[in-house]
Amino acid sequence: MIWVSWRQQRAETIVAALILVLVALVLLPSGLHMASAYDHDGLAACVGAHPSPACSEAIGSFTARFDRIGNLIAWFTLVPGIIGVLLAAPFVLQLEHGTYRLDWTQSVSPRRWIVTKLGLAAGAALVASLLLTGIVTWWRGPLINVQGRMENSVYDSVGTVPLGYTLFALGLALAVGVVWRRAAPAVLVGFGAYFALRVFFDLSLRTRLFPPHSLTWRASGADPPSLHHAWLISERPSDRLGHPVYPHVTRAQLEQCANGARVSKDCLLTNFHPAFMHAVYEPASRFWTMQLLETGLFAGVGVVLIAFAGWWTHRRAA
Amino acid sequence: MSALSAQGLGKRFGSTWALRECTLDVPVGSVTALVGPNGAGKTTLLQLAMGLLRPTTGELRVLGLVPRDDVVAFLPRVAFVAQDHPLHRRFTVRDTLKLGQKLNPSWDDDLARARIEHLGLPLDRKIAKLSGGQQSQVALTLALAKRPELLLLDEPVASLDPLARREFLSTVLEVVSETGISVILSSHILADLERVCDHLVILSHARTLLVGAIDDILAEHRLVTGPRADAASVARGSDVIRERRTERQTSLLVRSNAHVYDARWEQHEVDLEEIVLAYLGADAAPVPERELDGAAA
Repeated sequence: MIWVSWRQQRAETIVAALILVLVALVLLPSGLHMASAYDHDGLAACVGAHPSPACSEAIGSFTARFDRIGNLIAWFTLVPGIIGVLLAAPFVLQLEHGTYRLDWTQSVSPRRWIVTKLGLAAGAALVASLLLTGIVTWWRGPLINVQGRMENSVYDSVGTVPLGYTLFALGLALAVGVVWRRAAPAVLVGFGAYFALRVFFDLSLRTRLFPPHSLTWRASGADPPSLHHAWLISERPSDRLGHPVYPHVTRAQLEQCANGARVSKDCLLTNFHPAFMHAVYEPASRFWTMQLLETGLFAGVGVVLIAFAGWWTHRRAA
Repeated sequence: MSALSAQGLGKRFGSTWALRECTLDVPVGSVTALVGPNGAGKTTLLQLAMGLLRPTTGELRVLGLVPRDDVVAFLPRVAFVAQDHPLHRRFTVRDTLKLGQKLNPSWDDDLARARIEHLGLPLDRKIAKLSGGQQSQVALTLALAKRPELLLLDEPVASLDPLARREFLSTVLEVVSETGISVILSSHILADLERVCDHLVILSHARTLLVGAIDDILAEHRLVTGPRADAASVARGSDVIRERRTERQTSLLVRSNAHVYDARWEQHEVDLEEIVLAYLGADAAPVPERELDGAAA
């Protein structure tokens, strides 16, 4: 049964492997370049919480140089979704074409057939997500050393969460597919739902599950160590109690200080001379707690959806 | 033991009965034709027999087993070729045989390879590249190499051209005469099956209309023609399957063992095709009871 399952999902598995090869080919040159720049600039010595002024400058220029490509590569967070729905296709195709009947009229029980096929699809999804995470983590290594890994754009592609995302996408496409019995719409709807739920999770649910810390500190002093490598959700001038000062500051004025997603603190300080700063953030120390819980959540829902697909097929397919 | 025995078997999809109150018995070693128009419930009956569906009502035993209850014991003994013989189109012929070998403990690889060789099909050819007739032969090979005791064929020749039809049915005949396995095959055209079958089941509108050995069916049915006025007296002693009236005479297709001892009535033998058409025609446009009463008056 394992050979048969493998043969039936071979084409999709090869496509998934090609996607990984493509990702590796895209990342390899810039990754090598970034790693050598990191070594050349001697940044390894600068990664502490309180870098020297020279280090700050080196980190600043390194970040400015690679931040853009880093943000581009953040889109690779879609790859687990693509691989997940892709690996759901062979199972749904068999329902669509009726070829499951050919298999079910050999001598294996429908239960064994379903378990083996779904198991193999989930296994391939796991291997693919581990490889993907490995490649992206290697590539991001230097950037993570200087910037941390808490920002959504980094956090989503490292650690264990890609594994959860892949299973989740696989489960979504399978669940839609076994009910609808059409592979192409199942893959598209599955991916659409995956994307929407991921955006919802990133923008809204993550900070609700893990209520961010907030912190007010004297602006003239050094940055508090707890902000080191943290995910800064907001950072603004404030009074001693953390209430925003300069309520008359318009969004447009703030945007003058904005550089991409993050607001330049130096710019704020020069323009507004606040006495205190206030930040809302997720500390770097929470990384693994958040990762494991989120992985469990996505993988758990994914496994439930996969089990549902198996149950539904067993009860309803024939 | 029966190859297939059903008691009050019924299958409902949503609010529609695909098969209803079906009671029949197919003996081991028989070749049974399952005839009826499209949508009569033939596929449903075969899929129930294969365990691809669960009955809604009634009881079904195939080779003495309940198909869905003990799949491990049941599946190796029964083979099934589904309508339009779906195969994995991305597989090669070799892959398809390997699938059969991997999924069937009773697989006879020599038989499978010999048959493919006999058909002249290259093992490396993709299934998608084969003609409809070749695909049906590969599907049949897959079913036969399983060495089943019962072979179920759902509309095996419907999509084939006349030559491929003949070849397919010849193969079935050969296998039956060599191995003596039981076969149930369905078709909406009797002519396809008449020469291979010894038992007949007529299905229409989800119900069985006639079940029996073809020899018995031929012996029981006859066409009687006589004066128009006396139809009711003849009809009293036998089941009238079909009644045709002209100005002067009535012709009845009846099922009865009793003879009509009346010189004014002529009796003729009828062939199987006419019997089947009479049953299906009667079912399609049933003669209302009142009309028969009217004839009696």
